[in-house]
Amino acid sequence: MTTLLNVDNVYKSYGSLPVLKGISLTVEEKETFAIIGPNGAGKTTLFRVMTGEVLSERGRITYADHDVTGMSAHDRVQLGMGRTFQVARVFPEFSVEENIIVAIEARLRSRSESSLPWYRTRPRSSVREEAGALLQDLDLWSKKATEAKFLSHGDKKRLELGIALAGKPQILMLDEPTAGMSPSDRIATTELIIRLRAANAMTVVMTEHDMDVIFGLANRILVMNQGEMIAIGTIDEVRANPIVREVYLGKEMYGADG
Amino acid sequence: MRLINTVLFAACLAVMFTIPLWADQGILFIAGLVLVEMVFALSWNLLFGFTGLASFGHAAFFAIGAYLCGYALRADIGAPFLLLILAAGVAGALAAVLTGIVLLRRTTGIHLAIFTLALAEILRILVGYSTALGREDGLASIPRPSLELGFASFDLASGEAYYWFLCIAASVIVGFLWLICHGPFGRILVSIRQDPERTTFMGINVPAYRLAAFTISGATSGMAGALYAPWAQIVTPESAHWIHSTQPMLASLLGGAQSFWGPVVGTVLFSIINYSTRNLVGLAELVIGVVLLVIVLAAPSGVVGLVHELRRRLTARVSHAGPGAEGKAGSKGKFVQEAA
Repeated sequence: MTTLLNVDNVYKSYGSLPVLKGISLTVEEKETFAIIGPNGAGKTTLFRVMTGEVLSERGRITYADHDVTGMSAHDRVQLGMGRTFQVARVFPEFSVEENIIVAIEARLRSRSESSLPWYRTRPRSSVREEAGALLQDLDLWSKKATEAKFLSHGDKKRLELGIALAGKPQILMLDEPTAGMSPSDRIATTELIIRLRAANAMTVVMTEHDMDVIFGLANRILVMNQGEMIAIGTIDEVRANPIVREVYLGKEMYGADG
Repeated sequence: MRLINTVLFAACLAVMFTIPLWADQGILFIAGLVLVEMVFALSWNLLFGFTGLASFGHAAFFAIGAYLCGYALRADIGAPFLLLILAAGVAGALAAVLTGIVLLRRTTGIHLAIFTLALAEILRILVGYSTALGREDGLASIPRPSLELGFASFDLASGEAYYWFLCIAASVIVGFLWLICHGPFGRILVSIRQDPERTTFMGINVPAYRLAAFTISGATSGMAGALYAPWAQIVTPESAHWIHSTQPMLASLLGGAQSFWGPVVGTVLFSIINYSTRNLVGLAELVIGVVLLVIVLAAPSGVVGLVHELRRRLTARVSHAGPGAEGKAGSKGKFVQEAA
């Protein structure tokens, strides 16, 4: 396996409040890596440092042999990073189909995959076909003409996943993909991610609170608490770690272990 | 629906081009101003309605174009008029790039509005001190040029001739802006207005796109100013006044900022209100104030949005369609139309 993303001894603080205190991790190609920890542990900040929304103060981040430490977020996307947000962000005034079309066109433009004449007002048919295929894959085809603001929470989450996938990412960063979902939606979303991950041969990095989702998806886990790394390893290694049991997983895990 | 739109559009064009044949000089002059202000309003709304940036000092770009064109025509430097318009566009674009690079880096919301307002006021005051630009009196008796096209030459000295030139020039600039707004570039601008962060994570360099929109808007505002100078035949520092900056805003809000044609409808309506109340001092302001109040409260998407809504309801009633997914799919900002 080759390393796709490498975070090396990263520090970040907001004012005088240190949020990340020397975090290091590697994400291998085609694995699913989860970051967990209680609220305020620094998961989201670590996530934002990796995507380029905020820059770290110390340390180094490399992605696919590129040093991306000081690179802007949109440049990282052009290198193959995709991202969804904790609260789904879609374009509310666009229809479901238009949401996907702008994302495909943005990819074509920013990666110069093919030229889009500025005077051509109708999206070209190849773009519409690609959007249609993606919408069918996400089970949103029947709602393609609906304005995105009228979608239910779960549909918005799926549409946002579609926007991210339209960028054909090599690595998909999911910030709490099942936040605020009902248990049945969680299962459906987990299954959807498993399916999409396999179909697109993607690497996934995610934060999540729900342990069932983590155990259903992740190969390896980083456990954080107060900006520090508590444990990193496979699910079994992390489960067996006594400090993790103390700090985060609590009594529930003792039960689960038997 | 498409037929109605085409007929309506053709009728508007016909009225616009035939005004010199049936209207008096006073109305002709106002119609020419409407064409200029229409281009100016559309330029401003490329930023506000499409990109989500509010400039409160856009009259500065207009004034730069107007002064450049007026000065060159008075000095009779012999440059072709079309070149002067282009030069005004370049000057507007340059001014926009310079302010955009400084302002857009950090500010987008209310700060951008205040900064642009301040810069425009500074420009107005500086122009007022400039002897070369006629101080507070401005540049008066600007001659109307003739149009040299190589194969033919048109004298634009008469009101009718210059008006027809205005019609064509305005149509070309409006057509250009229409293509910009409705093409893939415009779709990305609309995405940025709705959610800049989401757009960033589609691999789009949002600050660069904002700067590009700002530059295009500055260029077409400058060109609107260049068209204005020979029409009014006088350019004063008032053209850079903040009150002039509010005109495209009010027109866009009245007509509908999220529709491409909204600012055009707004500009025409404002002129009609102004003209029909011209004999009653202060009434125009009162009527405009009340109309704006009603629009903002009752139809936040402007007159064009209101018309769309009425049409939607009418067609829904005719086809007895229930409030399904179709009813929810509004018509504003759509670029994918379903085949009926």
